[in-house]
Amino acid sequence: MIRFYGVSKKYVGDVTALHDVNLEIARGEFVFITGPSGAGKTTLLRLMLRQELPSHGQIIVNGRNVGALPTTKVPDLRRQIGVVFQDFKLIPRKTALQNVAYVLNVAGMSRNEQRRRAYNALRSVGLNHRLAALPPVLSGGEQQRVAIARAVVNEPTLLLADEPTGNLDPDLAVEIMRLFREINARGTTVVVATHDRDLIQRMQRRTVVLKRGTVVDTEDDS
Amino acid sequence: MTTGQLLHRLHYFVLDAWDEWRHSPGVNLLAVVTLAATLFLAGLVLLVIANLERQLELQRDNVQLQVYLRDDAEGDVRSALEVEIGAMTGVARVDYVDKDEAVLRYREWARQTVELLDELDTNPLPASLEITLEPGPDAERNGDAVAQSLAGHDAVEEVRFDRDWLHKLEALLDLARIGGSGLALMVFAAVIIVMASVLRLAVYARRDEIGIMLLVGATPSFVRGPFLIAALGQGIVASGLALLMVEAARRGALAYAGSSSVALLDLILSSALPANLSGLLVLIGLLVSLIGAFFAVRTSLL
Repeated sequence: MIRFYGVSKKYVGDVTALHDVNLEIARGEFVFITGPSGAGKTTLLRLMLRQELPSHGQIIVNGRNVGALPTTKVPDLRRQIGVVFQDFKLIPRKTALQNVAYVLNVAGMSRNEQRRRAYNALRSVGLNHRLAALPPVLSGGEQQRVAIARAVVNEPTLLLADEPTGNLDPDLAVEIMRLFREINARGTTVVVATHDRDLIQRMQRRTVVLKRGTVVDTEDDS
Repeated sequence: MTTGQLLHRLHYFVLDAWDEWRHSPGVNLLAVVTLAATLFLAGLVLLVIANLERQLELQRDNVQLQVYLRDDAEGDVRSALEVEIGAMTGVARVDYVDKDEAVLRYREWARQTVELLDELDTNPLPASLEITLEPGPDAERNGDAVAQSLAGHDAVEEVRFDRDWLHKLEALLDLARIGGSGLALMVFAAVIIVMASVLRLAVYARRDEIGIMLLVGATPSFVRGPFLIAALGQGIVASGLALLMVEAARRGALAYAGSSSVALLDLILSSALPANLSGLLVLIGLLVSLIGAFFAVRTSLL
């Protein structure tokens, strides 16, 4: 599903975010990426989504060489990936329902089908009473849940989540993880970047530990 | 893409463009006002050219000679002359304009200088025969022939068949068309740049949103769509406004002309902008706003 071959990422000023990362994530796997702040967790996810290009090495996602993918093919890749961003990245002038439905809209789905699926996705994260709310009036936790609903609404083959429980209270964090587990059980590969060790221990899944841009450990707790 | 999907996408673009209008009224208003002001100026130029063309056409179809009579050319002499002229090739009609009618016409034509006439004891204006020629390609040649044959006539003081002004006006109009087109091209190129800059502001204001749309799988064309539709809307509103302003300006100028005897305004503003030129103005508005929006989205984020 996902393969990193000797991937390095350097930013301007010779700042190394990732160094010679080799990693394989199988289809249907649920993997945590962990490590301290600045370890390269977010960069790893950004590379998978083709938000960044690797400085060296190759990344294969769903059989595609992400770095060599023509720009015109990038939207196709991204439609197969659901993403929960650390800063939510919701469209401020669209309602919760419209934000979730947007992913289906770009895929050309009919309006009724968009609304039906978006409603169901929001209901699954307990936000069916906030359909018409704009993101600025939602709490951090609610925005996080809208972002999760958007990430899963088109049943992606891969779900990437960057600190998805960072803004949620412990009960809700458990609930969200239960949701991720359900999605994973339906065949979606799930990659969660988090520094929440308690959460990782509770979930008992394979964990990739990054430190200063290098994979230092891979623990298989499943 | 099926027709249904295309319509669905277009529907979304329109809704999103409307949403963009509601959320950023300032930028959209600025774009509309900029475009409307330019189209208004272009509309005025088109209006003047259209009216001058119409007047020229009327003059071409209405070829007339003025034959000013000597003061003693009365009664049988005048009647004989009228019959003689009526028999000439290409002459459609001969009308007699007596001295009193000549004064009335002068008063009507030169309202502001009519006092000069009142200060004179006698009527200095001659009676005349107004010869209307049959319209057609030979009208001008026939007019020359009539003018030549009457030039030495005993009853005739002067024959006026001055077509030079018409030719000069035609040349001037050609120059105005060429110059106007060149100027219009330059102005519209400038407006495209201004529109692109204004619209770039709108794109820039939504750069985060656009970034999100691209991250969740929207194609650049899908993100561009609402901006282009919004620009089309700006073009339609701006051209509509410009047309209304051109007509209001025309009516205002004619009302002013009616009260202050500015004959030139009557000449260049008598008819409203014709439908084909109104359509052209709308088309220009749409093209300018679309090209501006295209460059704006192309050169900023997408």
